[in-house]
Amino acid sequence: MAGPPGAVIRTHALTKYYGTARGIVDVDLEVHAAETFGFLGQNGAGKSTTIRLLLDLIRPTSGSAEVLGLDAHRDRLAIDRRVAYLPGELALYGDLTGTQTLEYLGNLRGRPDRAYRAELVARLELDPSRPIKSLSRGNKQKVGLVAAFQDRPELLILDEPTSGLDPFVQLEFERLAGEARSDGRTVFISSHILPEVERMCDRVGIIREGRLVAVESIATLKARAVQRLEIDFAGPVDAAAFAGVENVREVSLTDGTLRCTVVGSVDGLLKRAAAREVVRIRTIETSLEEIFLAYYGEGEGEGAGHAAA
Amino acid sequence: MLLRSLFGKTLRDLRWPTFWAGAAVFLLAFYFTYAFPTYSSAFNLQELLDKIPPAMKALIGGQLMDVSTVNGFLNIELFPFMLPAILGGYAIAQGSGLTAGEESRGTIDVLLSYPVSRRSLVVQKAVAATLAVIVVAVAVWLGAVLGAGASNSAVDAGDIAAGLVLATLLALDVGALALAIAGWRGNRSGAAGIAAAVLVVSYFINALAPLIDTIDSIKQVSIFYWYLEGDPLRHGLALGDAAVLAAVAVVLFAAALVLFDRRNLAA
Repeated sequence: MAGPPGAVIRTHALTKYYGTARGIVDVDLEVHAAETFGFLGQNGAGKSTTIRLLLDLIRPTSGSAEVLGLDAHRDRLAIDRRVAYLPGELALYGDLTGTQTLEYLGNLRGRPDRAYRAELVARLELDPSRPIKSLSRGNKQKVGLVAAFQDRPELLILDEPTSGLDPFVQLEFERLAGEARSDGRTVFISSHILPEVERMCDRVGIIREGRLVAVESIATLKARAVQRLEIDFAGPVDAAAFAGVENVREVSLTDGTLRCTVVGSVDGLLKRAAAREVVRIRTIETSLEEIFLAYYGEGEGEGAGHAAA
Repeated sequence: MLLRSLFGKTLRDLRWPTFWAGAAVFLLAFYFTYAFPTYSSAFNLQELLDKIPPAMKALIGGQLMDVSTVNGFLNIELFPFMLPAILGGYAIAQGSGLTAGEESRGTIDVLLSYPVSRRSLVVQKAVAATLAVIVVAVAVWLGAVLGAGASNSAVDAGDIAAGLVLATLLALDVGALALAIAGWRGNRSGAAGIAAAVLVVSYFINALAPLIDTIDSIKQVSIFYWYLEGDPLRHGLALGDAAVLAAVAVVLFAAALVLFDRRNLAA
């Protein structure tokens, strides 16, 4: 693999404004070789802008980007021979069938491996004989996934790859991404779904309002994960008994139900609760916003310190 | 297999539109030359034409008023406006969509993530579209020559070809203009509209030049002037005129390459 080892994607103060509208601001991103990197952020946070800058589809206002050690703009052709991209809003040629689409795109890269393509088509249970215009969103997405994987690229850049996929296909996709990683290839996945990123990725970068606010290993992220819990007690309890418990925040108590937020381990809370009669525990799925709040809620400013992590 | 390359894919996209446009102009040209003897004998065309006021005459074909031959007849009926409108319109329709069509459909993201440079994309697509315009022009020639043969009319096929070479270059001028504007702004309908307006304004500048002195002094800016001034249907191909029209196409095409290469592509 060419380029400096360890940096498959590297951006320096990458900034993009659309007129006066903010795209991304001062993004310093580094993705290592052979890792699966999750790029997490809400819609409009700047995920697609970053990706389209990496692919030279749009040009930065300032800053620069390198892919595989090559300049994203100047060396685009050399990069595109080795990188596959699945756009967030995938559009294909409606009049071509799946097979024709995959043949055409494979030819553009110049080294179609039809046997491997057939294997991918079978694994994703895609019917490649139908014209693209007759396919559902999920089936079209399968064509895009086969197109991205069929050339066995060194780097896969996948923008919201699982949108529209049913659970079976999603699982198969996660296996494919896992195999790519085992082969030593790098996978860059953007997503707004935290559990998906947790399952697949080694590290995650969080982008918020155009700025990269944190880059963490999944293990660190999990340690800092925010959970919201509701505990119903049989008898009367005192909210004060739970204030000050390790990792527990935002405690409230109504009608024997305790509501609180836990950052990191829930051990302290459970041990304190166990002294009383617990009827039921509910966990409420953590939203991205809460993860961001966890980052911001500790007085770490803009979180720039995490970006270099 | 047309799906081997971007060039082949573009030819594939153009095959049916080009077939139908070619079939339509073949029938049109065939009709004119086949019906020429009937027109000629049913009306005394030359006499009618001589009665037309000069202003009107200018609009339908300048001073080229000779309907005693097939070439002279086509010089009035087909070549002054109808043919450039058809060929130019076809070139505009295709030229405006070569890049902007992929942008508006959103397929440009996938396409340009493959090792195809933006300049190569424009070249491959423009060459394919140029071939399509040439096919349509050849269909006109075939229709005219075969129609004349079917009605036993004398025709100078070489001079018709000369007229078609110039008409094709004129069409490529406006097609390249549409391509350049679409490459610059990414807006297909806007590019097509501006190019069509340039075609029409060009026509009127040349048509009104004999009547209005101020227009006459600027007639060289009209591509129609270079298309018609040598009277190609009767005097053959003037290489100088062809060179001017070709140069305009080359300059606009070069502009298209640069403008598309620099743009932020629509998401």
